[in-house]
Amino acid sequence: MPTMHHVVSTRELEKHYGPLRALGGVSLDVERASVFGLLGQNGAGKTTLIKILLGMLAPTSGSAHLLGLPVGSVEARRDVGYLPEDHRLPEYHTGPSLLDVYGGLQGLPRQERQRRAAELLDRLGLAGREKLRIRGYSKGMKQRLGLAQALLHRPSVLFLDEPTDGVDPVGRKQIRDLLLAERARGVTIFINSHLLGEVEQLCDRVAILRKGQLAIVGTVAEVVGAKTTWLVAFDRPLTADHRWSSAQLAPAGSSGLWRLQLAAATGIDRFLEEARGHGLHLRHLEQERGTLEEIYLQLADAGGPSS
Amino acid sequence: MTQPARSPADEPAGRPSPLRSCAAILQDTWLAFLDARILWLLVAAIAVLFGVALSARVEPLPSGRPYLDLAARALSADMAGIDLTRDSLAEVAGRLDGSLSWIVAAEPLPADAADGPATAWSVTLARNVVPVVGRLATSDEIAARFGQIPDGRLWTIREIRETTSRMAAATGSQTWELTVDPGPDLRILWPHRFSLFGDSLELSRPEGAPLGLEVFILQKLLSNGIGGTILLLVSVVVTAAFVPTMIRKGTLELLLVRPLPRWQLIVFTYAAALLFVAGLLGLLIFATWLVTGLLTGLWSPGILLALPTLLLFFAMLLSVSVFTGIVTRSAVAAMLVTITTWGVLFVVGLMHMQVVASRMREENAGKPRPVSVADALRPRAASPSGRPRGSAAERTPFHTTTVARIVEAIYAVLPHTEDLDTMVDRQLMRDFAVGGRLRQLMESPDFQWARGVGLAVAHAAAFLVAACAVFTRRDP
Repeated sequence: MPTMHHVVSTRELEKHYGPLRALGGVSLDVERASVFGLLGQNGAGKTTLIKILLGMLAPTSGSAHLLGLPVGSVEARRDVGYLPEDHRLPEYHTGPSLLDVYGGLQGLPRQERQRRAAELLDRLGLAGREKLRIRGYSKGMKQRLGLAQALLHRPSVLFLDEPTDGVDPVGRKQIRDLLLAERARGVTIFINSHLLGEVEQLCDRVAILRKGQLAIVGTVAEVVGAKTTWLVAFDRPLTADHRWSSAQLAPAGSSGLWRLQLAAATGIDRFLEEARGHGLHLRHLEQERGTLEEIYLQLADAGGPSS
Repeated sequence: MTQPARSPADEPAGRPSPLRSCAAILQDTWLAFLDARILWLLVAAIAVLFGVALSARVEPLPSGRPYLDLAARALSADMAGIDLTRDSLAEVAGRLDGSLSWIVAAEPLPADAADGPATAWSVTLARNVVPVVGRLATSDEIAARFGQIPDGRLWTIREIRETTSRMAAATGSQTWELTVDPGPDLRILWPHRFSLFGDSLELSRPEGAPLGLEVFILQKLLSNGIGGTILLLVSVVVTAAFVPTMIRKGTLELLLVRPLPRWQLIVFTYAAALLFVAGLLGLLIFATWLVTGLLTGLWSPGILLALPTLLLFFAMLLSVSVFTGIVTRSAVAAMLVTITTWGVLFVVGLMHMQVVASRMREENAGKPRPVSVADALRPRAASPSGRPRGSAAERTPFHTTTVARIVEAIYAVLPHTEDLDTMVDRQLMRDFAVGGRLRQLMESPDFQWARGVGLAVAHAAAFLVAACAVFTRRDP
């Protein structure tokens, strides 16, 4: 059941297109004022999941709630911003005129939408281009304007599909900062992205969707945590007399480095005590973390490309 | 279930309402409309058309004496209540009062005034009565009836003075000196010449045509013919792209996420497109009214009433375009299907007119052909065969053929564009329909405005509802 803390909540959500199962029993909760990253290969079901949450598609079975309301209701969409992947903004508009139209559809009064449009265009680096038609925009500019329309009505939850696609590094930084500011304001952000580094920087929690099913869900630290290892070097060579109960060590290259895998439920302090017991002093100690990309690729290898 | 998990973020500043949504879609459609280059070509083409029309000269031909003669002849019969388009010649003959009137002399007032529809005349009128059958007329009777014909009031009497001598009266002869002014319908019936580019291109016959008829033809040509057809065709082309553009992938999602029901997107877009085409049609019709008014001095408001009928026709086409656009997602398909629909309606309407004409020919066989007094004044070309057209022995009357029955069956279920066309004609000619031929059109027996409007509205509504149903149920 959805709770006060869950902006998005799904239970055993399924979507079938004829014989094709696009989503197969997805149960997911996204907490308020968090950034949630949804990862997965093309065709894994990410966009289908978002479209169900936004009421654009009807699920085959299962339940889904957005802001505590059943998805599909007009009221559930009132407080939502959405930037679709490969969006196509009507090219006969200028930035301000497009925001004016979308603001009107959201029910914003004229003065409010004009004020918000000017503010967002400025924040997203589009100030001074107010008279330019969208057909004259670069891809990055279109992406920024797309983000502006999603933020226009100050939604409580944002769904962003590849929000920094086509944006240069400076622009990406601007967008990241803006999204973090929105989160600080209490906005929940749901991101679909292939830029794993970016997801790692932005997201509090991530999920990886594979063939319509959730392969893993958790905080970034939890997802990459399983891969945590250390690189160590000692002041003298190790011998066969050095036995370790707190960890397993294996040579890591030829520079005297050892890769250390801590035993389950063992902290690094226990290993340091054991090393001192052997009369060894550490010359080098470095935590070797796994990356989201490694996990992602590992899961992708396990699953193969989805249809 | 718990209450919605609303965030501490600021509440959205507004609440969606159908009015705001409609205004937003209106704004969007307006910009899409302005973006269509073909629209500006259309405006340029129509401006050229009106420029050409403004180069026209409409001048009255000298016809005072024939119209005074007509008024005199009409005194021989009591024409009140007689309808020359319906009543038989026997009925008309029964109204003859056993007299014969004619104009002895007529001089414009003042004597050097041009012979035109605004000229007053000094007239000497003579009247002879057939003994036993006829009786002498009083000056009041002549004043009341002179100039009144079934087509309208040609002349009004300013002064009348009887100059009959006692001896002449005894033999049944009467004379009057009259001062007559143009009547309210004289100008519309007065023959005018019509030429374009100054006098370079003569468009009327040497004997001219009644001004009302010329204005009607000009207005029909500008507002319903060339102008209206081009405008509606371009409007079909421009508006055919609206829905497919709106529902293309990447654009549709940006609309579906808004807090309004899907059907509103379709209905508001439809209404917005209709509103802008109404604006264009309104401009065209206003310009036509202005041009014909400037050229002829006749400021007939009838043409302004043609707007709703033309718009209704477009509303029907637009609903087909919207439905096709939603089903196919293609602007080209929407355009082609709409234009094909238009073509089918036109052809079926035309064939149905032939069926009606064939039936009327059979019903009227042997009856005298309706004639207007004003028409009777003008020379008529003899039919080459020596027999009136239409009464020729038909091999098999068209309305009894299988083709005609199929046409009638199809016509029964299609929108009756013929009715809409007749409505436009009636609205255009309502102020000029004092002449026989125009009045015949006004009284076409196969016209029912309620059927025309009802079928058009029903078809437009059916396509629109179907479009909304498909759009609401379909996955993006």
